[in-house]
Amino acid sequence: MLVIRPLQENDLDDLYDMALNAGKGLTTLPADRELLERKISLARETFNQRCAPEAGIYLFALEDLTTGKAVGISGIQARVGLDEVFYNYRLSLTVNASKELGVHVRTPTLQLSNDMTDTSEICSLLLSDAYKGGGNGLMLSRCRFMYLDEFRKHFSEKVFAEMRGVSDRNGQSPLWDALGAKFFDMEFSEADKLSGLGNKAFIAELMPKYPIYVPMLPDPARAVIGRVHENTVPALKMLQAEGFNFNGLVDIFDGGPVVEAFVHNIRTIRDSINRYVLVTSKPMSLDAPPAERAMVSNRSFRDFRVTTLPAKCIGPETVRMPPELAEALQVQSGDSVRLAPLKEGGFWPIHSHREGNSFDEKSQNRIKKYRSHSSWD
Amino acid sequence: MWLVRPAIPADLASILEIAGTQGARLSSTLPKQKETLASKIQHSEDSFAGKTNPEEPPRFLFVLENTVTGEVLGTAGIDARAGNGQPFYNYRRDALIHASHELGVSRRVEVLYPSHGLTDQSLLCSFAIKPELRTTDAFELLSRARLLFIAEHRERFNARVVVEIQGVQEDDGSVPFWDSLGRHFFNMDFQTADQYSGTLSKTFIAELMPPNPIYVTLLSPSAQKALGQPHKLTVSNLELLQREGFHAGCYLDIFDAGPVLEARTDNLRTLVTSDRKELHGSHDDAGETCLIAAGEGNAFRCTLTPVAETLEDTVKVPVRTWQVLNKSAGDTVRIAPL
Repeated sequence: MLVIRPLQENDLDDLYDMALNAGKGLTTLPADRELLERKISLARETFNQRCAPEAGIYLFALEDLTTGKAVGISGIQARVGLDEVFYNYRLSLTVNASKELGVHVRTPTLQLSNDMTDTSEICSLLLSDAYKGGGNGLMLSRCRFMYLDEFRKHFSEKVFAEMRGVSDRNGQSPLWDALGAKFFDMEFSEADKLSGLGNKAFIAELMPKYPIYVPMLPDPARAVIGRVHENTVPALKMLQAEGFNFNGLVDIFDGGPVVEAFVHNIRTIRDSINRYVLVTSKPMSLDAPPAERAMVSNRSFRDFRVTTLPAKCIGPETVRMPPELAEALQVQSGDSVRLAPLKEGGFWPIHSHREGNSFDEKSQNRIKKYRSHSSWD
Repeated sequence: MWLVRPAIPADLASILEIAGTQGARLSSTLPKQKETLASKIQHSEDSFAGKTNPEEPPRFLFVLENTVTGEVLGTAGIDARAGNGQPFYNYRRDALIHASHELGVSRRVEVLYPSHGLTDQSLLCSFAIKPELRTTDAFELLSRARLLFIAEHRERFNARVVVEIQGVQEDDGSVPFWDSLGRHFFNMDFQTADQYSGTLSKTFIAELMPPNPIYVTLLSPSAQKALGQPHKLTVSNLELLQREGFHAGCYLDIFDAGPVLEARTDNLRTLVTSDRKELHGSHDDAGETCLIAAGEGNAFRCTLTPVAETLEDTVKVPVRTWQVLNKSAGDTVRIAPL
């Protein structure tokens, strides 16, 4: 069984192995033991509420309970740009027009911005190759939305993700070569590594501050602005299915897009429902394809746990689960859990709009009641 | 003899012909359209006559004439206030140091800033001469006659004078700096853009250029190489102006990145070395050739003459020079060595 839980100190070795195997391009998780150790301790402080909830970084591990190993990681940074300065380029447009000259030319520009400051970022997603498929990636990514949903006040109303931009097999980025490298004499992979080590703001300070006129960049560089790396296409699709959209910002190094969504609009969050746990010792099959599975969370801030079970276990008020699953979630019969579909468009017995309807009914009743008491009716 | 005098409406056809032989040049102040040129000549006549209007600052246009044939061989101009009441656009080439203490790096980044810094300074412009006269003294006469005019009418001009030198243009007519920058904002090549510049002011076109600073490192290599470089045909003019005391500063033309030369008006060699003298006659054609100028406003004339003798307050020159200048014995003239 695979379960999501907060990252722990003893995950360091597994994390380091994962980062080593991931190779270049993963800025947020470089293979650097000291840095990973620091990240883990930050995450521990966050879950133990030893830092302000807004300053925290919430890192989750995907653990294979049979081996006890961490096989994936994902995270939420509650606010970016608090200590360091958070930079993006805004892909903007200026129009140059003159009736007398018969000129009407559109010029895209890249304007340095700090627009994402104070916004929550979903980040650090990494899954071991051996565990890819079967909806594991979906759970690893989407469990974060369940967490966001439970503890909304710790996060911003809008969340975003920076998608990895285009680079070739040798780690060369066309945009970096045409832009960054002209101002900072360094290979993209090196700059990328430096930024993963927490030096991104320093490098950004060496980058051009005035708007860049995109037509002045060579074609290969222009072609990758706002485009994702081919390995990132599935991740982008997943976020798009959740309601994330390109917000016009791109990474200052590789031009990868920033996608964002309002928390209340995220599909996983909209489809989430609460049920009471019913631990049953009756034998039941936990097998189901991803489209027929539900994520189930224990709703705990300090020891947040998520796993999946077949959606058919969900009843009108309860969700049935075998003892080993309840144990993995650290819940007992009668505890409230929250459920969301693992895959969009899949089997989901209770649609959230039904809940919405009941809410509407309630509020309509209240309105009726109010009106019956009011004198002007 | 060669004579430099204010342009008159009768010169229109000849000036048009000269303007037509000039290549494409966006910053040229010599229009190629008949109506535009006619009104420029009219405005010049008014300017010489001292009829000023705060909205249209004086602009002077001179022509070089062969006094024997009456043929017009070249033009030269002065705009008393660069920009002519509108902003005068240039790029200021400057540098920023992008440095990081944390990373221990420091890098010099060259930037072109749009600038109006030269607005209202006096501008030497509209210089054009028939190719066959480029290597003769007429070239120097035409260029420096303007400075003698400034010396004689110093109060009409700014304390600083600037000249825009044409920038690099390839043999096929393409302009590397334009192709790397301006073209993106106009979607037209230099020649096409140039066709508009005769009818519309330089300011008008300049206002369509990007308002933000430009990083030099993002320009094409050939455009970077062209920054502040003169067109090969302007080298003799450039040298002449440098001898006058003009020097290239940090300003560049916004279309072709040609250098802008600057000088303090009172330090120009022609202003420093020229003197006012009383005109006297000589019967001798011998003597050092000098520039000689006389006349107020529209009566201004400047020519080359052999000077037989120069005393403290008088100068002796052949009588035919008097005639060209429309002056006679006892009148005041200004002379300057070639």
